[in-house]
Amino acid sequence: MENINMLLQGFSVLLTWQNVFVTFLGAILGLIVGAMPGIGSLAGVALLLPLTYSFNPTTAVIMLGSLYYANMFGGAFSAILLNIPGDSPAVMTALDGYPMATVKKRPGQALLVSNFSSFIGGFIGMIILTFTGPALANIGLKFGPSEMTALLLVAMTSIGWLVGENPSKGLLLTLFGILLACMGMDTLTGSPRYDFGNEYLLGGIPFTPFVIGMVGFSQVMILMDERLVKAKEVTEKLTIRGSLLTKHDLKRLLPPALRSGVLGTFMGVLPGAGATAASFMGYAVQKSFKSEEPLGSGAVEGIASCEAANNGAAAGSFAPLLALGIPGSGTGAVLLGGLMLWGLNPGPLLFTNEPDFAWGLIASLFLANVVALMCAWGVIPLLIKILSVPTRLIIPCITVICIVGSYSTSNSMYGVLVMLISGVLGYVMHKFRYPAAPVLLAFVLAPMLESNMRKSFIISRGSLDIFFDSPLSLAFMTIFIVILLFPAARAVFGSFTRTKMETAK
Amino acid sequence: MENATTKSKGFGLNQTIPLATAAMAGVFLWLGLSQYGFWHDSKGPMSGFFPVVISSALLLVSIATFFQSFSEKRPTLPLINWLPAFGVVLILGATLLLGMVPSLALYVVLWLRLFEKYDWKTTLVTTTVIMAIVIGCFVIWLGVPFPQGLIYEAITE
Repeated sequence: MENINMLLQGFSVLLTWQNVFVTFLGAILGLIVGAMPGIGSLAGVALLLPLTYSFNPTTAVIMLGSLYYANMFGGAFSAILLNIPGDSPAVMTALDGYPMATVKKRPGQALLVSNFSSFIGGFIGMIILTFTGPALANIGLKFGPSEMTALLLVAMTSIGWLVGENPSKGLLLTLFGILLACMGMDTLTGSPRYDFGNEYLLGGIPFTPFVIGMVGFSQVMILMDERLVKAKEVTEKLTIRGSLLTKHDLKRLLPPALRSGVLGTFMGVLPGAGATAASFMGYAVQKSFKSEEPLGSGAVEGIASCEAANNGAAAGSFAPLLALGIPGSGTGAVLLGGLMLWGLNPGPLLFTNEPDFAWGLIASLFLANVVALMCAWGVIPLLIKILSVPTRLIIPCITVICIVGSYSTSNSMYGVLVMLISGVLGYVMHKFRYPAAPVLLAFVLAPMLESNMRKSFIISRGSLDIFFDSPLSLAFMTIFIVILLFPAARAVFGSFTRTKMETAK
Repeated sequence: MENATTKSKGFGLNQTIPLATAAMAGVFLWLGLSQYGFWHDSKGPMSGFFPVVISSALLLVSIATFFQSFSEKRPTLPLINWLPAFGVVLILGATLLLGMVPSLALYVVLWLRLFEKYDWKTTLVTTTVIMAIVIGCFVIWLGVPFPQGLIYEAITE
């Protein structure tokens, strides 16, 4: 009951004209960014981060949260109408969305099934977040430096393990991101380190230009591959009235959406799993339930299962972010970086020390869910125009936003230089199949990891036993060691199995 | 579009990233131990402690990734994909002379008109929209003091 009261208090914080306006703005921008193939929520949130600097922290995070959340709605548009997912969580939506739009000639209904399922999945995620967020924070209050160190090690290594195809590449980038964050000042003593005699490096690598380059400008370079690909055309005319669902559609939509909403939320809470994994899982689970038509042929159940799961995960990922200060994805890492820039420290004390902020943000997700549904429905007639913007026009526009965004954070060309270098780095990493999310997560979490690790060693006078003394840290360290050893074990057992098979031949 | 790839044979670009991270780990390790200090008997871990631990791990993972990289396909890095980066370098140079906002407008016009071969109407409409966002949001709303360039300074002096 207390949580409901706090949520109502959050709504009272939220309902100012400025906060409601930014919720709408974030939702509309999120829908557009999500619908345009190739940009995605990570780049969208990173590019819009500088725009929020004029707001107070609560308003700024409300806008980014709304943008991130609406992005999950928008990603399905191009997946359904063009068979090109706007973002990775929408990959599974295309499997049934595109056949429903083209073979069954029901594009409007396919879009609305996706929107309603997203709404239901997100709503379930937010209800669970309302109750589990503060509970998770209460558990977090019991964490000492050793437990926090062990938890951070699990979060950092698991994202490297879950994102991308090669865990050792993820681990390499996690460590690389931590070292980048070590440049500048020692956070505990305030003494300079790794500045290489450069006055700019004394302040470390600035977060916003680094993120804009790593995920925004690198995307521009990647999009150069696609600039001559002719955009697919949507021939069907889309209207709001023509998109209405029948009672039968709603009956088919509800069970998978409710099931996947719960599943997706729990997937979202896990570090690294995120919306994409939730969407895959939602679809896989739906395969074991009865669908009126086979999945992959344009089934309502197929669209509903993955869309509800990815929106549930988007809402669920706010629980560890707010309660423990641990983001579950690259986008979460950017949000966390933004919070830190505004002087807020997400973690167990956030719900106690900054209740207006924490509950205002959760309330804003409820509003964003309704606003995104309304906007997603409202933009249906305009979708053909939004989706037909050619990549060739987008490339110079994003470049300009990257430059002004990175300049505006530091009011110096140093920011633009950092953006350029990290953009080139992000592009090279993409080409060599190195995922960017572990670098961002590690870069944001490194100061917290260093501080907790050093405090633990001060307490234990250099003994490693402190990480294995309490049951919590012992459990986290066991998970960490398993995650760490998994790639090596897989390589050894993989080569052993191959040798055995070759001998058998 | 999928990355164009060729089968990796011998030493090549695939090994660049693990070699670069190994070199970085080596530098951080050496500086951490020689300049910032690892452990103090009474104070405990010093400034170099954490970077030394992380760079040691990075060195090991880089070596493992280096050997793995020989079995991977080699991607191609088409020269045309580097054009946006080259464009940013040109904008940085032009900013010194023209100022940032005019340089950005000029960049969009040149890119769309000369490189993408769009007609003047599309070029000017796109440039107007993007510059309206830059001026409206960043100059007027956020009040960012963008560099104004030598020419502007010479005129106003």
